[in-house]
Amino acid sequence: MGVIKAILAGMGTTIRKARILVILYVVNLVFAVIAAVPLLALVRADLEHSFLGASVRPLDPMWLGEAVLEHQEALPAIAASLAVFGLFYLALHVFLYGGIVGRLLDREGPATLPAFAGDCGRYVWRFARLFAIALVFYVLTLGVVMGLVSALFRPLSESAVTEWLPFILSNLHLLIALLLLSIVHMVVDYTRIAVVADAERKVLKALRHALTFLKKRFWRAWAIYLLIVLGTIVGAVVFYTVLGLLGGPGVAPLAAGLVWMQAYILFRIWIRTLFVAAQAEFYRSHPY
Amino acid sequence: MRATGLSACLLLGVSLVLGPPAAGGGQAESPPPAGAPGLRYEIWIELDPDGKMLLGKEEIIWTNPTQDAVPDMLLHLYWNAFKNEASVYMRENAAETGLLRGGSPEDGEWGWIDVTDIRLADGSDLRPALTFVTPDGPETEGDQTVARILFPAPVQPGESVHLRLEFKSKIPRTVARSGYYRDSFFIGQWYPKPGVYEEGKGWNCHAYHLNSEFFADFADFVVHITVPTGFVLGSSGKAAETRTDQAAGTTTTTYRQAMVHDFAWTASPRYLKIERDFVADREVTAKEYDEAAALLGLPLEEVRLPDVKMTLLIAPEHKGQIERHFRALRAAIKFYGLWYGPYPYETVTMVDPPFRTGSGGMEYPTLFTAGTSVLPSRNVLSPEGVIVHEFGHGYWYGLVASNEFEAAWLDEGFNTYSTGRVLAAAYGPGALSARFKGWPLDWFLRLPKIFDFETDRVAAINVVRYDPVTAWSWKFYDRMSYGANVYMRAATLLNTLERLLGEPAWPRIMRTYATRYRFRHPTKADFAAVVNEIAGRDMTWFFDELFEGTRSFDYGVASVASVKVPVQRRGVFDAGGAREEWTTEKVEAFEAAAAEAGDGPGRYRTTVVLRRYGEARLGGGDRVEAVVRFEDGTVETRTWDGQGRWARLEFVKPARAVSAQIDPRGVWLIDEDLANNSRRVGGLRRNTVKLMTQLLFAVQCVLHFFGSWS
Repeated sequence: MGVIKAILAGMGTTIRKARILVILYVVNLVFAVIAAVPLLALVRADLEHSFLGASVRPLDPMWLGEAVLEHQEALPAIAASLAVFGLFYLALHVFLYGGIVGRLLDREGPATLPAFAGDCGRYVWRFARLFAIALVFYVLTLGVVMGLVSALFRPLSESAVTEWLPFILSNLHLLIALLLLSIVHMVVDYTRIAVVADAERKVLKALRHALTFLKKRFWRAWAIYLLIVLGTIVGAVVFYTVLGLLGGPGVAPLAAGLVWMQAYILFRIWIRTLFVAAQAEFYRSHPY
Repeated sequence: MRATGLSACLLLGVSLVLGPPAAGGGQAESPPPAGAPGLRYEIWIELDPDGKMLLGKEEIIWTNPTQDAVPDMLLHLYWNAFKNEASVYMRENAAETGLLRGGSPEDGEWGWIDVTDIRLADGSDLRPALTFVTPDGPETEGDQTVARILFPAPVQPGESVHLRLEFKSKIPRTVARSGYYRDSFFIGQWYPKPGVYEEGKGWNCHAYHLNSEFFADFADFVVHITVPTGFVLGSSGKAAETRTDQAAGTTTTTYRQAMVHDFAWTASPRYLKIERDFVADREVTAKEYDEAAALLGLPLEEVRLPDVKMTLLIAPEHKGQIERHFRALRAAIKFYGLWYGPYPYETVTMVDPPFRTGSGGMEYPTLFTAGTSVLPSRNVLSPEGVIVHEFGHGYWYGLVASNEFEAAWLDEGFNTYSTGRVLAAAYGPGALSARFKGWPLDWFLRLPKIFDFETDRVAAINVVRYDPVTAWSWKFYDRMSYGANVYMRAATLLNTLERLLGEPAWPRIMRTYATRYRFRHPTKADFAAVVNEIAGRDMTWFFDELFEGTRSFDYGVASVASVKVPVQRRGVFDAGGAREEWTTEKVEAFEAAAAEAGDGPGRYRTTVVLRRYGEARLGGGDRVEAVVRFEDGTVETRTWDGQGRWARLEFVKPARAVSAQIDPRGVWLIDEDLANNSRRVGGLRRNTVKLMTQLLFAVQCVLHFFGSWS
């Protein structure tokens, strides 16, 4: 299967299984509301009765600075609770991936909540083990490999004559890190797919399936991944461009902005399922 | 060859520029002519770019301007701050970072200065009597940044002393805005420099501290700088002549400058040198002159600006930003000149510092360093902000030469305030500065635009808990407190004074202070005296409470509530010898009948509670204004002396209050919490809801990001 064909097929699958998006969106929204409550309460307490509430801007330096200083004692607690919430959300996603992969790979099966939850439960321990293995790869990539790249770049940067070289090297370093991470991500995705598609109970075996699969068709698989990343970037640009146009007085622009932001969250969730769906289509077109 | 060349220059220079030593060759020189400073330098300096060394000879003529007999002289040897970890600078740096080696140079990159010879003009050798002293207390022992020399006999009032020194210095590898990177050099605080003699107190000559800048007396300088031919040179002062020694492969340029208190220079083969003229008649319109003269109450001749020769030394990779640099410099020369008096020197040199010399954003008389990057922001006022600021130091530090060790706010605060005003006048608000991996984010995002006084205020309001603005530089709690207090809090207080005193008093205060203390060393008391004199009122409380104090300033509205005033009160009343009880039922019936008869909408009692949340209080008869707005469109204004912790305002009107606001004109910019300055009856406003939806969206994105690592 070709790259574009896999992506298009993946798109078709995600659209047919749109209920998965709804489930994931609701989970995101509910958790975000709970996590944001302390922040929203601070904003409300500060601005509800103040004239500043009528003029405050999203990145208002006057208010933002003042609020940060005023609540500086509460901020570490808020930041810590957000981090804990984030980690919990991460763990939850290890669980939810069972539903995402399970339902997307079950071509004929329904994408109902019970079926989704059933897959979550079915694959949770395998995906948890995979997550632990992935952590090792993340650490190796960001710590060891990128450390080596830094060590390689440092002498060049330190002997630079102008700031151009450090600037280029710094950006190159970031690019390499992102590309390596994308490869790790991709390997993890294909391993999940192998777990489900090959009904593989052993995660290491599934990992071997994925690696063997990728070894033969790495560049096409990576192209699928990077094209979807490109789509995400294009989507983000479109989102922020349109959001910038949605200013103005009255309730309508406010409501439109709110809807647009939620649409963007839905888009991001869709992209996440598209990664799985497109890669699953590609994987299944070349049976192990 | 180099040493020979240097000696020849020395002999020629001494005889031509400074004239022959006084008869007798001792200390007693003729006093300088009236109007000239009591200090003169002539320095011959040669750069050895390979050895990273400076070889120098220096002549100092100092005239005792006081009635004291002065037995000694204290000299700054600033580069010894970079000599070892025992220096005050390095010890303070380590303490600040909490690391044993915090901020120390790498092996082989230390810098130092050795005075190898020091004599009176009659040849008396003072070197054996040279000792290092620790004027800032015994805890600074081991520091070699201040040297003391003892004269054979005290210098009597009005007498002069003529010193001849030789020194050699190792140039540090970029520290505290001096040093080298590859073949580029920035040379500041490099020569032996006397402190400032204060009558009855002795020499004011502090060690080189981490959180401090400098203090010196006005002087006339002649400096001969020798660098390898091919190096582009930039320096304080005006280039008088250039000579090339083909055999030695060096070029010597002589710079002269009268009435400055420091001298810096830079050399690099990579600089592009561009010269332009600030032509006053082209930059300032007749209308602008008229307006400035009227505002300042001065004759037109006194606000007219002279032309200035502008020189830019810029890195080739920043070539595309030449026009931005000159535009900012022209704006600075214009507005500082119109507001604080004409720029008195013929030249100004603007240096885009060489890569990794760490010398950006620093001021020296008639020369300053800016700083930019290869990818400049479009809407962020950078490098404009640093250009305006560092040129502005030519006034606040250069001309009004307050002591930066003991009152850093008098130059940094004044100049931060002035920078904000110039940028606002020349450019309007600038976008927030934000970069990622060197990319200016304003290329991709619409960042909010703000004025400097807004960001200054945010940075300033919290640091009052640590130190007063007026603390001595190295005695601040930490570097953050030093920076935020002397720059931002001082600027915010000056902005507050501006709003409080208004026009024309404020611009005249600033003009008077700037011109009265030009070429002098004013203190806080001098500025306060000018404020009181021009404003015609005693503002001492403001200086005591807000500049000297460490109490937060925060007035606000605690509550606003309106209740209906009863037409008839309940209870037992005596009237006309009879006693009558008004029961609840009777009152309700009475009120219903009154309403039916159309006796108006009724009356409401509005209570507004103002509070002093901070510890600082108003004084000197200044009051804070409060405005209450009502449903019927009426507005009530009251003032409060702000002495108590709270004040209750009451109004009985035919309408309910919709809002109350304290300080509606925004006079008290130093107020710590602007959100509590107003209180309205009613719920959330559109912008608050929008902010909340965006916060929720941000949290959604953060969670999504976390989820992507699963």
